[in-house]
Amino acid sequence: MSAPPLTDTAAFRDALRVWLDAHDLSPGPDHSLDSQVEQLLRVRRALFEAGWMRYGWPEQVGGLGGPAVLRAILGEEVASRDLAEPGIWSMIEVLAPTMIACARPERAADMVPRLLSGREQWCQGFSEPGSGSDLASLRTKAVPHGEDWLISGQKVWTSLAQYAARCVLLTRTGPGHDGITAFFVDMDSPGVTVRPLRTMHGVDEFAEVFFDDVLVPADRMLGRPGDGWRLAMDLLPHERSTCFWHRIAHLFTRFDQLLVAGTDATDDELGAALLALHTVRCRSHTTQRRLAAGERLGPETSVDKVLLAEAEQRLFDTARDVLPGVIELDDSPWRTEFLYSRAATIYGGTAEIQRNIIARRLLDLGEE
Amino acid sequence: MTGTAAGSSPLDATESRLLTDTVRGVMTGAAGGCADPALAGLGWAELLAERPRVAIPLVFRSLGETGAHASVLLDVLRAADPTLPAEVALPFAGGRWVVWECATGAPPSEAAARSGAARAETVGQAVQAPPAFPLDAGLPLRPLALGSVEGGRRAELSGRATAAGRRALGWWLLGTGHAMLALARAHAVERVQFGRPLASFQAVRHRLAETLVALDAAEAALAHADGDFGALLAKAAAGRSALTAARHCQQVLGGIGFTAEHALHRHVRRALVLDGLLGSTRELVRQAGREVRERGRAPRIAEL
Repeated sequence: MSAPPLTDTAAFRDALRVWLDAHDLSPGPDHSLDSQVEQLLRVRRALFEAGWMRYGWPEQVGGLGGPAVLRAILGEEVASRDLAEPGIWSMIEVLAPTMIACARPERAADMVPRLLSGREQWCQGFSEPGSGSDLASLRTKAVPHGEDWLISGQKVWTSLAQYAARCVLLTRTGPGHDGITAFFVDMDSPGVTVRPLRTMHGVDEFAEVFFDDVLVPADRMLGRPGDGWRLAMDLLPHERSTCFWHRIAHLFTRFDQLLVAGTDATDDELGAALLALHTVRCRSHTTQRRLAAGERLGPETSVDKVLLAEAEQRLFDTARDVLPGVIELDDSPWRTEFLYSRAATIYGGTAEIQRNIIARRLLDLGEE
Repeated sequence: MTGTAAGSSPLDATESRLLTDTVRGVMTGAAGGCADPALAGLGWAELLAERPRVAIPLVFRSLGETGAHASVLLDVLRAADPTLPAEVALPFAGGRWVVWECATGAPPSEAAARSGAARAETVGQAVQAPPAFPLDAGLPLRPLALGSVEGGRRAELSGRATAAGRRALGWWLLGTGHAMLALARAHAVERVQFGRPLASFQAVRHRLAETLVALDAAEAALAHADGDFGALLAKAAAGRSALTAARHCQQVLGGIGFTAEHALHRHVRRALVLDGLLGSTRELVRQAGREVRERGRAPRIAEL
């Protein structure tokens, strides 16, 4: 089926809702990570075939064009209907724009449609055991080897690495911020080893990835040598606009579940959780609008990040308070989500790093 | 830190900047006093009638930022509900009521405020309550004594007027919060202890960062406050942000911020009093919780 040309956001949303009402993509009862990833790819395939997944992406990479905000609307509908877990759904919002901006055009045209259509899952190799908040201290080495590069080192917190066909990888090719270089690496290359991490919430979606003299062709470099830091920084607006919008939509669905769960939650508790969710949604909306107007997003998105983490933790703290025993005694999704929310002030730049950025860049308080 | 307050402005950027500068200028000229005459001279009535979405954010935020006051809140209520009586009692937190006296010229002295409060007392019935005397003597507010019989004035504000008033007060609280943040920031950058500026200490930086986060959250909510429920949430967010600003900025300013010689206390007083007008943060949060419980679903007010 070929998709109709839609650029008006309201018309897009309406038509999408009609389509989703008529095509049941609900997940099955199995909530294992394998099933979640399978469901993610199934939903993507269906939405790509029907065209929805192609809106907001450029035609050169298999998209149908239109504004990027259409992707935020699609993600909101997917999250609102619980069709896919919003965290893994949104990874594409970081990976695809990086490829479009930094890969050779023919490479992007070949690869990005695989991601959009659910044929492949990719991952992002940034953090290292010795480089968490201080990402720029990363040490995974890339050295020239004839025409090619040899990569050695270790990454950690690499989401879905065990399912990924490719990896956008940051390496060190020289000293300092200008010595960071990005590559697009096939995960089935000899020398790549993936070891899933056991985490507190029981979903092994993060992995360690080891690179032992992995040979990567020179044409797999993203940008030029030394462009890696800028590439990483340019990802942030994508993560902090569309991905956040999806997550906020997801949190609203959980809040609604609390409302109808027949708890003894007080009006004060519900109101406080709602206020946090509402304000981050409003803030994220403002950010989406700025992005749509062609503004360049920068350090002010740290405000969005702080608000989102606070709203998420407050929501699940409230859930624990008003559903006594459920998180502690029952094997329920509330437990998994409550535990996952503990990480909201850690991943994607800790709450402290965000406050440092706000103090330095937005309040101009000078050096620490 | 001083973003434009124009909202969905039909003005172009230059017009908007010019208007903002002019409004701030006259309010700064009012030096903490009543800006009514100056605003009238600027054509406030026409601006409110023709461009409320520009006028209200700009004027009320500027009141907060400059520490001036004006009886423009009554104009906003009246624009939303022309049937309001000439003198209207406004609901305050805790079931209390206040009358906004349309003052002109200088702000009331403490003595005048006390006598106004005393006047209200005499009208009131025999209630064992402390004499009313507003925390922020810079505002021409006259609390009605507990149990007062000035009941004729207590016409319920319509939903429209209440929402309009909450939006306006939200912008005012936002400006007040930014005024406090500006004072604390300047102090942190200039004040040296242990041979370093206060601003170089992470504990101080994070308090100021928290303040900006709260203020930006409130501003975002105010930008999505068209409906009654959006206005309620926006006033709650703005009240909370101003109280957050008061707490952090007071702490960063240390001893000097506790003196009456420093400007901070006036903004703190204003934040506390404005928070109570037309429903405090605490009351509005509770009301929001009650409404969504009854609906069984949280409204998604900001739609892409």
